Amino acid sequence: MSTLSEQGGVIYSRLIAREGDESTYELFIGPQHPASGHMRFIVRLEGDVIVSVDPDIGYVHRTMEKLAEGREVIKSIPLLERMTIIDSHNVTLGLVRAIEKLLDVEPPPRARYLRTLLSEINRIASHLYGMGIAGIMLNHSTMFMWAFGDREVWLQLAEELTGARLTHTYSIPGGVRRDLPQGFADKAEKAVRYMERRLKDYMAVFFENPQVRARYEGVGVLKKSEASRLGIVGPNLRASGIKYDARLAEDYAAYSELEFEVPTHEEGDAMARMLVRIEEIKQSMNIIRQILRKIPDGSILADKYVRLLPPPLREQVAKTGRVKFPGIFATLKLPEGDAVSRVEMGHGEIFYHVTGNGSTKPYRLRVVTPSFRNVILFRYLAPGHRFMDFPAIYGSLDYFPPEADR
Amino acid sequence: MSRQLASFKLHLRAVATGLKYLFLPNRITVYYPEEYIELPEGYRGLIRYYPDRCIQCGLCAMICPASAMKMYRTKTDRKGRPGINYQRCIFCGFCVDICPQNALETTKVHDVAYKSLEEMILPPEKFSQEPISPAVAGGARKLKPVFDEERGLRHERV
Ligand code: SF4
Ligand code: SF4
Repeated sequence: MSTLSEQGGVIYSRLIAREGDESTYELFIGPQHPASGHMRFIVRLEGDVIVSVDPDIGYVHRTMEKLAEGREVIKSIPLLERMTIIDSHNVTLGLVRAIEKLLDVEPPPRARYLRTLLSEINRIASHLYGMGIAGIMLNHSTMFMWAFGDREVWLQLAEELTGARLTHTYSIPGGVRRDLPQGFADKAEKAVRYMERRLKDYMAVFFENPQVRARYEGVGVLKKSEASRLGIVGPNLRASGIKYDARLAEDYAAYSELEFEVPTHEEGDAMARMLVRIEEIKQSMNIIRQILRKIPDGSILADKYVRLLPPPLREQVAKTGRVKFPGIFATLKLPEGDAVSRVEMGHGEIFYHVTGNGSTKPYRLRVVTPSFRNVILFRYLAPGHRFMDFPAIYGSLDYFPPEADR
Repeated sequence: MSRQLASFKLHLRAVATGLKYLFLPNRITVYYPEEYIELPEGYRGLIRYYPDRCIQCGLCAMICPASAMKMYRTKTDRKGRPGINYQRCIFCGFCVDICPQNALETTKVHDVAYKSLEEMILPPEKFSQEPISPAVAGGARKLKPVFDEERGLRHERV
């Protein structure tokens, strides 16, 4: 009929049908950053019960794939990193793996361990980010401030390892760019101990807080069969009882040499999704400890590339632990063929397909991101719930629009 | 009743945990520019160019993913020398890593705020000057982040 309410220029709604006592409203949420990024939800409500939700995506589509196809392959690493800046090593590791398969080069063992190390630091930071956002969606600003503050600890570790707070650009074809800095193991151990302590606080103030449990338990239940039918990935899948993790399914980095568990829950509700993330943080810290104990010595860049460096530079790299690129990195030629790879990000599995045709630029670069696969859940989980459950469900999904839109 | 009691206890625990940090706050706020966090060794901040080491190979401009670095060519110097545009630079450090002569180096200065857009474009002559942090030049207290089991991060005076 007509526009009925307008609040702060963000939410518009209109009455679309009235039958007897029942009225159906259409509510537009977004697109100006309603929660975790730019997107719009078209929610239909009967009273305050959700009838349907249409996630309207694409507001941050940046033609990432096409941009990557127009430049030398090494330049796609810093480019695609920007899909999920909060998880920037995991998001590019799959790409680097695919390029390595095409170029037929394997990273040395130490590089594989270092990749795992940064990936797990990233995973913790990414989960903390998601939890903070989920907290503020329930108006729990304490959880938001705490998670974002504690994330800073992990960003500091990543910064000391890579030289950048978020845009690590750490893995390159054939290895990684920096070796462990002095005193890193000690700092990481302190960070782990601090986080263990803080997770207890998180439980007390948020995850075991009856107010929060009431908002999360039994809300947005994703059944096991639905999860596999819809192709859901990551913690959202594992919270529905399916034990699938790309770290187990695909041989990459050093995961096959490390011991860790893949936490699952059976309930499939918002609470289970949040708890899976907490348990994954614990597992990640366990992995970090193992890496720092077991990391093998040796080079951090494949021999094939080290050999191309002039001898003084080779010595410099060995001494400083900072890799210098051989000149051919500017114009790496991708041989004809296809390569695919999967990597487990904080949000779930990311999939890359790179096609080479003998030129310096990828002929085709395709990426399927976890958020893109999970966005469909808004449509399936919200209907039937009251409108106040919508932010609770949204928060529990850890959906990241720039990653889905690419 | 016992369920309500359990729930009451958990409510109380949540409030108590919050109160604890009200009295013993865990803040990591730093008052830039009066205070300045010293960036770690190997930080990828502003880049410095050393013209005397440069062999003018152009690799740095070639690998730059953001087209921030380009070779400034003149009639007399056809090979040119690199200059940088900080409007575009993403601080990936690829140029530094590919330079075969170590003629480019990252610095620990990362105050990338400028008064005008033009100032952000540095031709080779300006690019070869030491970057200065306005905060440090203005006498900011230097702080060093320290990992702490109880506080996470602490910022100590250097
Ligand atoms: S740091 Fe990266 S973006 Fe900046 S000039 Fe160097 S190569 Fe270009
Ligand atoms: S890569 Fe190094 S030596 Fe070559 S032009 Fe750039 S600064 Fe000069």
